Amino acid sequence: MKHDAAAIRIAFVAPTLVFLIVIDLFPLLYNVFLSFTNAQLSSAAYDFVGTRNYSAVLGELASPRFQDALRTTGAFVVCAVAIELLLGFVLALALRDSFRGRSAVLSLLLIPMMLSPAVMGLFWNLILSAHNGVLNQALEVLGISGPHWLTDPHWKLPAVILVDVWMWTPFMMLIALAGLNAIPGYIYEAAEIDRASTWAVFRRITLPMTAPLLGLAVLLRCTDALKQFDLVMALTGPNDASTQTVSALLYQVTFAGQKVGLGGAYACVVLVVVIALASVFTRYLDWLAGKQGRSGQVAT
Amino acid sequence: MKISLILCALLASSVAACKGGGSGPEATGSGTAATQAGPRSVTIWWAQWAPADGLQELGREYQKETGVTVNVHQIPWSSYQDQVFLNFGGDTTDFDIVVGDSQWLGRGATSKLYLDLTDWLPTVLDLKTIHPAALKYLCEYPSGTPHYFAAPCETDAVGFAYRKDWFEDPAEKAAFNKKYKRDLAIPSNWDEFRDIAEFFNRPKAKRYGSALLTGRGYDALVMGYQPFLWDWGGSWGDSNTFAVKGILDARPGADALQFMKGLLRFAPNDGSNMDYGKVLEAFTSGSVAMAMNYFAFYPTIVRSMGAKAGFFVVPEKDGKRFTSLGGQGMSISTKAPPARQKLAKDFIAWFLAKQNQERWITKEAGFTANVEILNSPAFMNATPYNKAFSESVGLMRDFWNVPPYNELLASAAQHLGEALDGAKAPEQALGAIAEEHERILREAGFRK
Repeated sequence: MKHDAAAIRIAFVAPTLVFLIVIDLFPLLYNVFLSFTNAQLSSAAYDFVGTRNYSAVLGELASPRFQDALRTTGAFVVCAVAIELLLGFVLALALRDSFRGRSAVLSLLLIPMMLSPAVMGLFWNLILSAHNGVLNQALEVLGISGPHWLTDPHWKLPAVILVDVWMWTPFMMLIALAGLNAIPGYIYEAAEIDRASTWAVFRRITLPMTAPLLGLAVLLRCTDALKQFDLVMALTGPNDASTQTVSALLYQVTFAGQKVGLGGAYACVVLVVVIALASVFTRYLDWLAGKQGRSGQVAT
Repeated sequence: MKISLILCALLASSVAACKGGGSGPEATGSGTAATQAGPRSVTIWWAQWAPADGLQELGREYQKETGVTVNVHQIPWSSYQDQVFLNFGGDTTDFDIVVGDSQWLGRGATSKLYLDLTDWLPTVLDLKTIHPAALKYLCEYPSGTPHYFAAPCETDAVGFAYRKDWFEDPAEKAAFNKKYKRDLAIPSNWDEFRDIAEFFNRPKAKRYGSALLTGRGYDALVMGYQPFLWDWGGSWGDSNTFAVKGILDARPGADALQFMKGLLRFAPNDGSNMDYGKVLEAFTSGSVAMAMNYFAFYPTIVRSMGAKAGFFVVPEKDGKRFTSLGGQGMSISTKAPPARQKLAKDFIAWFLAKQNQERWITKEAGFTANVEILNSPAFMNATPYNKAFSESVGLMRDFWNVPPYNELLASAAQHLGEALDGAKAPEQALGAIAEEHERILREAGFRK
């Protein structure tokens, strides 16, 4: 009986494990392996080149194109995630209380998050076209001359950020909503009895108590945004200097240059950077949660 | 225990189903064809466009004559190059023949992906019947040497489509004459082109002067800039020493880029980033007076606009008139089994025969490299654009076709794009390209 239970457990876990190994772990390890070779896209043959690719990548770190890609990625992550956090939190506050049609509104707001980024990128490419796009036509009706979203170098990155915000604000909203719903009602009742102002309630109760979950959402979005590729690819292409993120540059090295080995080394370096940033953030979240735990203990 | 066995069986069957359920290009590749039709089929990979449909039609005629099936597998342009070179990365290829871009020749030849046709091609084709530019750029590597890695398939060049009905409108003609003191006619030089673009540019009426190739994705911007570069007397570099600095970034190239950028004032919104499809769409939607594109895209214009559209050769500048070569040659994969290579050679030999080239030109955008056919009245009069195409063939030049061509293309497209966007001055952009091109060519062992 005990034996059967263990087998069932393994059987349930096995599909996911196999899937993870085939889809995630094997490509990752194979990429690490390739990063030490001179593998090319069009050739099955390759030689080991030791750490030559990594030397090249480290040499590239100071090059203008990598610096530009890094700056673009940083600007994208900071702007997109900050706007998504702000809008998501505001939406969650608006949708916290029950009202007629709340479920319908919530469902509608969640739609962008569930759509494929590549498809949405192509879709937005049509919407943002300054030649015959719907958005500029709508702005024209209002008497506003819309910018050349996808061709004006000052508007290209904001356009990518705009689409990312449209797609991922619902995700922030969802997590913020979960955080808000988890705050016990009696705390608000106590604040009401103490005649705390709305601002004080927000600053002393709502914000600190949702902070760990919001932090988690920010972490997830940051790690995802750091890898931004699909929207850039669909909206402006991977070779546009104004929107070339590190992932887009990586694509150019691997596919335009057809240097799989060098591209692999780039990918490993990017992965290490993402993991390092994520671990810093996780430690911060742990610290935040610990601090809240301590202050909770003091309060009781 | 029974439950775990059932679950394991379910898992195994689902994995097996996944393995057999692929629907990628490989599913229709020659491996499948070989299983279904034995060695009596040839698989060709080409981009998804009208000429590939024409080649498939010819393939059916070939099948009727020989019993050998020809499958033309079409891949969207956006992923064509990646798909082909990824496929070459395996031990075998899913195609026997690839109709590859002219720039691919160097990589195909030096990486031993393309079969060397040097000894074979002259035995099935009188090379003197082929236009020298087509032979040089579509078949030879290195260009200008008698080493052949492809047979001419689709010869193509950049030209212009224009709104014939607007040009022939008496009111427009009178207004143009009044403003520019000359008749409204097809522009013979770039200054005339600019005047006409300016004349027809009426943004309030959603009408624009010209649409140029400026897309950053693959090679559209480079192909669009080249006629300006060469007409102004510039060059990508020295093809013998591979020196770029001081040549590409010299005055002619910068002036050419400045002129091209100036023309964008008369382009539709987003005119600084228009690939082949967007230029075509802008013209067929009726909003542009003149549109730059490859001739192989022009059947679409004729189909949708009929007699409203006309076609002309790229304008000249101070007696210099050059255009970007397009089109592709047929190369045989070294990774196809010998029996299939033999079948591929048989098909190519059949395709190159004069009587079949005469059939080829009856297909949409079936552009031959056969000089006699190119200059024949039958070809010239077959479509509204053939005459301009025939004239363009002698003006063709090409980008670098060395193995690192794609890195050179990407670098050029990025910096030219920055110049068109105003992020860099033309001199700065060309200087950056020259710097990067020399580095890429040095790393590849070309520039000493």
